[in-house]
Amino acid sequence: MAHPPENDEDEGGRGVSRRTFLKTAGVGAAASSLAGVAIPAAGATVLGPGAAPLTLKVNGAARTVNVEPRVTLLRALRNHLDLTGAKEICDRGACGGCTVLLDGEPIASCLMLAADAEGHEITTVEGLGTPDAMSPVQAAFVEADALQCGFCTPGFVVSSTALLRKNANPSLEEVKDGLAGNICRCGTYSRVFEAVQKAAKASARPAAKRG
Amino acid sequence: MAQEQKPPEVPTVTYTVKAGHASNPQTMEVHAAQGDLKPWDLDSKLRVVKGRQPRLDGKYKVTGRAKYTFDISMPGMLWGRMVRSAVPAGQILKIDTSKAEALPGVKAVWTSDARTVRFAGQDVAAVAAVSPEVAEDAARLVQVTYDEASFVTDLEKAMADDAPLVYEPDKIPGPKDIPRKGNVLGPKPPGRGGSRGDVDKGFADAAVTIQQTYSVPTHTHSPLETHGVIAKWEGDQLTVWASTQGVFTVRDGMAEALGIDRKNVNVITEHMGGGFGSKLAPSASGSAFAVVACKLAKQAGAPVKLMLDRHEEHLCTGNAPSALMTVKIGAARDGSFTAVHYRSFGSAGIAGGAGTGGPAGSLHGKNPNLKIEEHDVFTNAGPAAPLRAPGHPQGAFALESAVDEVADRLGLDPLEVRRKNEASPVRLIQYDVGAKAIGWERRNKKPGEGAGPRKRGIGMANGNWYVIARGSGVGAEVRIHRDGSVEYFSGAQDIGTGFRTAMAMVVAEELGLKPTDVKPNVGDSRWPEGPGSGGSNTTNSVAPAVRLAAHDARMKLFALAAPGLGAKAEDLDAADGKIFVAASPGKSVAFKQTAAKMSGEVIAAVAERKKQFETYRQDLAGCQFAEVEVDTQTGVVRVIKVVAVNDCGFPINLLTTESQIIGAMIQGVSWALWENRVLDRNVGTMVNPNLESYKVLSSKDMFEAVPIVTEIANAGNNTSAAGIGEPCIVPTLGAVANAVFNASGARVRTLPITPDRVLAALAEARRS
Ligand code: FES
Ligand code: FES
Repeated sequence: MAHPPENDEDEGGRGVSRRTFLKTAGVGAAASSLAGVAIPAAGATVLGPGAAPLTLKVNGAARTVNVEPRVTLLRALRNHLDLTGAKEICDRGACGGCTVLLDGEPIASCLMLAADAEGHEITTVEGLGTPDAMSPVQAAFVEADALQCGFCTPGFVVSSTALLRKNANPSLEEVKDGLAGNICRCGTYSRVFEAVQKAAKASARPAAKRG
Repeated sequence: MAQEQKPPEVPTVTYTVKAGHASNPQTMEVHAAQGDLKPWDLDSKLRVVKGRQPRLDGKYKVTGRAKYTFDISMPGMLWGRMVRSAVPAGQILKIDTSKAEALPGVKAVWTSDARTVRFAGQDVAAVAAVSPEVAEDAARLVQVTYDEASFVTDLEKAMADDAPLVYEPDKIPGPKDIPRKGNVLGPKPPGRGGSRGDVDKGFADAAVTIQQTYSVPTHTHSPLETHGVIAKWEGDQLTVWASTQGVFTVRDGMAEALGIDRKNVNVITEHMGGGFGSKLAPSASGSAFAVVACKLAKQAGAPVKLMLDRHEEHLCTGNAPSALMTVKIGAARDGSFTAVHYRSFGSAGIAGGAGTGGPAGSLHGKNPNLKIEEHDVFTNAGPAAPLRAPGHPQGAFALESAVDEVADRLGLDPLEVRRKNEASPVRLIQYDVGAKAIGWERRNKKPGEGAGPRKRGIGMANGNWYVIARGSGVGAEVRIHRDGSVEYFSGAQDIGTGFRTAMAMVVAEELGLKPTDVKPNVGDSRWPEGPGSGGSNTTNSVAPAVRLAAHDARMKLFALAAPGLGAKAEDLDAADGKIFVAASPGKSVAFKQTAAKMSGEVIAAVAERKKQFETYRQDLAGCQFAEVEVDTQTGVVRVIKVVAVNDCGFPINLLTTESQIIGAMIQGVSWALWENRVLDRNVGTMVNPNLESYKVLSSKDMFEAVPIVTEIANAGNNTSAAGIGEPCIVPTLGAVANAVFNASGARVRTLPITPDRVLAALAEARRS
């Protein structure tokens, strides 16, 4: 039997992919920060279909990128600004590998359009520290060997940083909750927990001395 | 390939070493090839090796600065994208790429010559375009017309006489002398260990006999960095950045597929985001994407980056075969086995290699009568690839569950039954260590005897692996520069094990430096050759060559230091950045000061690994103990704690060795409780090709993981290192299943141990 031409690369070859959906909804609504919002807000700028310039505030600096409206924040960071710390692992919000801070809140940057990130403060793992001046969380990860292949690690570092900013002294259960959106295939979880609790102690020490 | 025990044919030097475990040292003679060093043994005073060194590349990884293949881009680079077969079986009638080619921004198109489709996800076509977005659009515009054929995705259905054939009988892959019928190939001759004695007689002699069938579904490797490459041509020179476990395999594979000279191919893998066995092929087990990327790059006259997406990663880059295993054990009243018959069927999809008999061949060495039969069953699914101790976690789950069932039948302590049948002196030590760490005496004497609906229990299981090393064609280079800086070079790749740090520790040990004083250079085919990282062989293949090169550099440096110290070079030693007279350490000179004396700019020492001919033991022993909680009302299982006791020879870096063991326990628990590749039997495609419904263990499921390394001076090479990545996952599945039984009385023989299966097994336990 002949089969109709197959031209859909999506799961099971059926339906509209998230990517085409975003494309259809390729509207840069400066006022909206929700990915996939299909209805343009009043006064929204309609971008596309071609590439359009956007200004993103990343790690304290304003950066201009020229991207199609369907490009996610993750791909804008990685493919247009060479900030490759955030990883594209599942590209659908399931793994946490692409976590960045948006106005201080951890988000999956694969689930947000770059256009929707305009006007927000974006912090990537590169903005938290450098190899020669690591943040306490980063240093604790290295010391506790909370990484193996390290591909998930930037996501864990950003999520852990966000967690400790909200809760300076989390219990083990709170650490597990805070990192529930991050997957590590090499199996580093217990050493990540150790690192987060080490980093919490390290930051608490000066305060304890003062007290 | 374990190192041979056959008499050496090359000039040798004999060393007497103190081998084995510290609690039971064994003096043995080893013959090493001339020029090799005496193996580090129980008497060696090691200053750096066996210590705990955080990874040297850690600071780049935690700050997002490490560039993985997925992260590399270069000017003018195009983005490649594959088109994959949407149907599981049939013929391709037409591939129409005209619309894709007409799309602005598309620079190259490739179509497959193969016309027969055997699984959904097979390579069909590919495009290269100016952006990933345009490449995705173009891939969707490729129109493929199929003549579909009937197919089979289910293991047991594929074994039926009337099942659709995955291969015509003469096309079945595998040796021609093995019996074949329909989709089934086998029984295959047993591998290592093999069959022995007379099982019929053994069963006749048994006081009790149990026979049960166990099954494990297909797992996918799911490394977080998907497979992918960047291919770049400069004239006839090809550079490939690859996310691979085998830099040299990719080099050789590209040269062969493209018909070019190996020396014109350079492969680079600086950082790599996991592979677990799936990245040992030049491209992947079920895709030639890397070759396709090289072809697209040539056609377009520009570098092409081709990374698979998560969906493709599940379909065509390998998986662990499913397994259906029947175990029959005969035992005397005291628990000693009189016979074991192990029979397995498994499907590696369209590939062979679904055997699971390894543990049966190796464990319970005192059992006199053993028969192993393995069969491959072909199905219309992506071909398997080695996954962390291929076939062994599955086989150990079945075998070690059955051992527990024997113990239960005889009313004996399951650990005592294992002791009765144990031939490995190492595992006998490990039983005591592990039992103490988990608190074995806390287990239920009667399964499920705990009060209340949430019941805890403890179980254990064994695992085995082999000492595998590439004994020749492996090299290393160590350089000391005039300014006192030191670096080493090994072409082999660090796949996340900490290989690069471990090798720096070996150099530091020889030169009396800190590991942080040594700059590692790994993962580049221009550097001395190394093995593919499979079989847990990288460290014990490369470390002996690194040690030889470092030792050579050390002696050259000692020669420069000797006159000033008024001693002979061979009477010197090095530690803490100093070179000193071994007999009077007060007489010393700084390492840096000595390096400044060299006549040129660099002392370079290159060495090749040498073969050794004896080892303390050819196998690696391990066992694990698990504590779980079973909610007998919902069937939900929670793992509380796992203790892993494993032998890896000498661990070079105890810190990263433990990390690998923890990782294996986690992956093992994940297989035991959740992972399951689901194929739709009506359409033949994968139902859960993602990371949310292909469920893997996450933070919330995490248990207390206790890694314990049994240090064994293995003497199989000059560092006594063996391997760890694989052995430590072999026992986990069985340990969890046996703990579930001890907690609740539910014997779950099919993985994953999902709540419905627990409830069904509880109901069955109540009935009997
Ligand atoms: S890549 Fe964004 S959550 Fe996985
Ligand atoms: S360290 Fe490899 S995936 Fe987490």
